[in-house]
Amino acid sequence: MQKRIRPLLWALLVCAALPLFSQEDSTYTEEEDYSIYDNLDYADEGTKRFASAKISGISPARLISVGYDYQAGYDITAGAFDTYAAQTARVNSTQGVRIGANIPVISKNSIIVQLGGQIWDMNYDFEDDPATLNHPLLQTLQANNLTTVGLNSTIFKPLNETNFILVQVSADMNGDFSIPEFQEVNTIKNSVAAIWGKRPSDYKQWGIGISRTFRAGEMNYVPILLFNWTSPTTPWGTEILFPARGHVRYTFNRQNMAFFGFELEGNSYKLAAPYNDLQIRRSELRFRFMWQRQLVGFIWVALEAGYRINYSFNVDRVPGGKDFSRFFVLDDPFVMENALTNPLYFNLSFNLVSP
Amino acid sequence: MKNVLMSFFAVAALIFSTTAFAQNEEGDRLIGVWEPSHGKAKVKIEKIGTKYYGKIVWLKEPIDPETNQPKVDKNNPDEKMRSTPLRGYRILKDFEYTDKDTWTEGTIYDPENGSTYSCTIKMTDDNTLDIRGYIGVSALGRTDVWKRLQMPKKKK
Repeated sequence: MQKRIRPLLWALLVCAALPLFSQEDSTYTEEEDYSIYDNLDYADEGTKRFASAKISGISPARLISVGYDYQAGYDITAGAFDTYAAQTARVNSTQGVRIGANIPVISKNSIIVQLGGQIWDMNYDFEDDPATLNHPLLQTLQANNLTTVGLNSTIFKPLNETNFILVQVSADMNGDFSIPEFQEVNTIKNSVAAIWGKRPSDYKQWGIGISRTFRAGEMNYVPILLFNWTSPTTPWGTEILFPARGHVRYTFNRQNMAFFGFELEGNSYKLAAPYNDLQIRRSELRFRFMWQRQLVGFIWVALEAGYRINYSFNVDRVPGGKDFSRFFVLDDPFVMENALTNPLYFNLSFNLVSP
Repeated sequence: MKNVLMSFFAVAALIFSTTAFAQNEEGDRLIGVWEPSHGKAKVKIEKIGTKYYGKIVWLKEPIDPETNQPKVDKNNPDEKMRSTPLRGYRILKDFEYTDKDTWTEGTIYDPENGSTYSCTIKMTDDNTLDIRGYIGVSALGRTDVWKRLQMPKKKK
């Protein structure tokens, strides 16, 4: 009996152990008749396709970014204000660290929600002896950095296979405060942009919309144009979200890209007491060349160089943080009109890029 | 004593194989043809040994407009792989069924940028997969929803 059972037991053991031995795999598999996959249906009849948020060849999104921004020397003329006469001073450099994050928190075919934040620091290094700076604007820039702490969210909502809605909201605290001594909450600048768009192919995505933005320094309502395009046959493409930024892209390979274009950068910065009703409407146009490439794994480096053109550094009186737009109050004058000459600038950042 | 030992091993093997069979059956629900959200490809997931692999079996645009040749893995960081055809390419590798409709320990390759990510697959219903590619920790990633495909039903 025992002799008859023994082979059976061994067979049972061998069968039980069989799945533990895996076959060899290779990345590429032998040819098969792929035509059988041409006409397949969804297993769920009600399944819908949705437009993708990306197009082929677009530059990778930055999950986390740590960078350093440097503007070379320029002159600043602070305009006459109260009893103070206009004064011109030399800024050796404006430089600071820029940290940002943008993490997808909901990622489905039918909706993508990203949450992000940023901390920017701008330090004004004056050539002049601080004792010779009489103008209060120059004094505060010399003594304090301009800082931005912000939160933002991007929502991509495809409506069907080609149409989509893109909404971006942000809340920024800007001023000559230092972390962790924040400003009053009512000074937070809220921006919002809404775009309706189409993605007619894997190589093109466009949209039109409207935004409430501080990129021109003061609050504005401006139309937006989105146009992302990749040539299927050449290394060229575009990444445009006008008027915020617009670039022509040249792809050496998918890990190495160059960009030529501009960025409109700006915000409204609240000054500390005794000038806490005043806000600097800072806005600058940056014409630039940018080169970004994979450094190692998912870490990319981006090098940027260009010319910074001052659009606004004027000062408005904003009592109680209650903002206004010249779109509606056309003749409201600035309390201080300032002028900046235009220097070269550089930016170096290391970025963890998204899957 | 020897008989008792043999019987113990036999029972253990039986329990193990029954559990493994049940696990296999649950895990094998992953097998089939799936469409990623971008709709540019169809991926056939199959089982090799105890692990699950997925290869591209269909491309919306099979010919590279730049070369007028069938698409190859031209973005692969490994130069030797750049002439490998994309159709037939295994982009999902080494997935093991754990439990709770989840397959882990695998990787996903994105031919669009030549990157390989850690990946977890979660079956949210019989015909839907949440494919999460991530970098290091799951929080730094993106989920794509894949839908199961099947042969067209015959018209009556």
